[in-house]
Amino acid sequence: MEAKFLLTGDCSLSVQMGEEISLAVNQRVRMLFLNLTTCPIEGVREMVPTYASLMIHYQPEVLRFEVLKAEIVKRLDHLDSAEKESRMVKEIPICYGGELGPDLENCAAFEKVSVEEFIRMHSQHEYYSYMLGFAPGHAYMARFEEPFHFKRRESPRVRISGGSIVVQLNLSNLIPFDQPCGWNIVGATPLTICDYQKEDPFLVHAGDWVKYVPVSRKEFDAIKEEVKRGMYRLRTYERTVK
Amino acid sequence: MGIVVETPGILTTVQDEGRFGYQQFGVSPAGPMDSTSFSLANLLVGNPRREGLLELTFSGPTLKFTEDNVIAVTGGDMSPSLNSQPIPMYQAVAVNQGDVLSFGMMKGKGTRAYLAFAGGLDIPLVMGSKSTLMRNVLGGMNGRKLEAGDKIDFVHPRKTLPDMEDRRLVPAEFGEREIVLRVVTGPQDTDFSVEELRRFFWYDAEITNEFDRMGCRLKREEPLKHLGDGNIITDGIAFGSIQVPPNGQPIIMLADRQSTGGYSKIGTVISVDLPKLTQSMAGSRVRFVRVSLELAQELYLRRWEQFNRLEKRWGV
Repeated sequence: MEAKFLLTGDCSLSVQMGEEISLAVNQRVRMLFLNLTTCPIEGVREMVPTYASLMIHYQPEVLRFEVLKAEIVKRLDHLDSAEKESRMVKEIPICYGGELGPDLENCAAFEKVSVEEFIRMHSQHEYYSYMLGFAPGHAYMARFEEPFHFKRRESPRVRISGGSIVVQLNLSNLIPFDQPCGWNIVGATPLTICDYQKEDPFLVHAGDWVKYVPVSRKEFDAIKEEVKRGMYRLRTYERTVK
Repeated sequence: MGIVVETPGILTTVQDEGRFGYQQFGVSPAGPMDSTSFSLANLLVGNPRREGLLELTFSGPTLKFTEDNVIAVTGGDMSPSLNSQPIPMYQAVAVNQGDVLSFGMMKGKGTRAYLAFAGGLDIPLVMGSKSTLMRNVLGGMNGRKLEAGDKIDFVHPRKTLPDMEDRRLVPAEFGEREIVLRVVTGPQDTDFSVEELRRFFWYDAEITNEFDRMGCRLKREEPLKHLGDGNIITDGIAFGSIQVPPNGQPIIMLADRQSTGGYSKIGTVISVDLPKLTQSMAGSRVRFVRVSLELAQELYLRRWEQFNRLEKRWGV
């Protein structure tokens, strides 16, 4: 498998698997990531998969650059899709519109569709989590059908609430914590996107598939209560691969 | 029993080596800004070099000891004193219950000091680390800087340590108004023309006051010009990554850096030179010198071996 080795200083290395944002390139990044997770190289401290490259942080006192590079080259030769990706899809409830999704009507108007049709376009397709970054638990997610046509708002909001779901083009991200944001908000999830107290603090990981499931405000409140009491169980299903 | 914070100083946080393994989830590693002074403070009091301690910024706290222990202060000079008597830096000092440790303001000789306690501080691990990441209210003392009234217990305090007289080092010198940072080019040095890359190394830059634990913004007289628009497909960031956003003014990414970013990175400051930057002040000037990765790793290993020798000599 082709890859470029980019120098990122004396304690890390970036392996670039392509030069575009696409599922194909990202899945090559994931294959290398999974390979190195399954059969770790001593001295690798952690890895950060991004859209098109894998950042490998390592300890030079254990592992020198040339040794690491040679090992990765070897691994790249033997990477194959035998390293099966999970087909699990996580269902994430979303309450659209109202105070939780103040931009829903504007977004639908921009697309020249009804609010119902907008919600269908947004919730009917599965989303792929390319990578996490920016804030703890913040996943960059995209669908591959029916992209919207609008981008960001003209003026960003200084603060939006954690739990919000924001959209532009074919992208739609869950916002883990309150933050400034220039994207349009169409709803919110009652689930906790990042909870440091949990053994796995992060609702969505890189490489996950996600489906947004519309729920009413009443259901939103009920789920939120279940989450609070630690009773909520995330629903999942098997993805059918075309 | 351990310490009670009487006054907290401007920015005093608990830091250990850093939180590793969670950058893939968007969590910054945090950890010390000056990893050399950090390690030396721990080694002087017989700790593993990665133990959690206090990082002091610009000014130090006033702390009252509620239990005997051995401490050491390294890094920037903030005139530490015990019961109003000056104490040496870069040296293990025994303190008694009831003693009060205080600091003055920095004296232009470094901006960050490291205060280590033998046996470590009793701070809960969050995702495997004691390091404070204030941006995300994570780790350390409830995710924040120290405040008056905070109490932190010692884990394994020591009344004294073997060879107390021997536990001293020649203090590092900080506070130069012009620093030279060695840089390994990449990962996006090819986003700049050969001439522009040459200008990056030829002309110096000023450290601005937009300089915190996350990063340090520089100001060049002539902004750098990219071949493209300066944006890249978001990729990983290292401690020391030199980002060049579209405005051409470099930002050096530091301890609380984001794990990923979408600006071109012209190079990375080598590990052993980062303390020179993180101990300097706004208004100082920076010049970059290009070195090979081999040299950068050689220097890294030399420092590592020095720490190993001290750990062998003083470890308890």
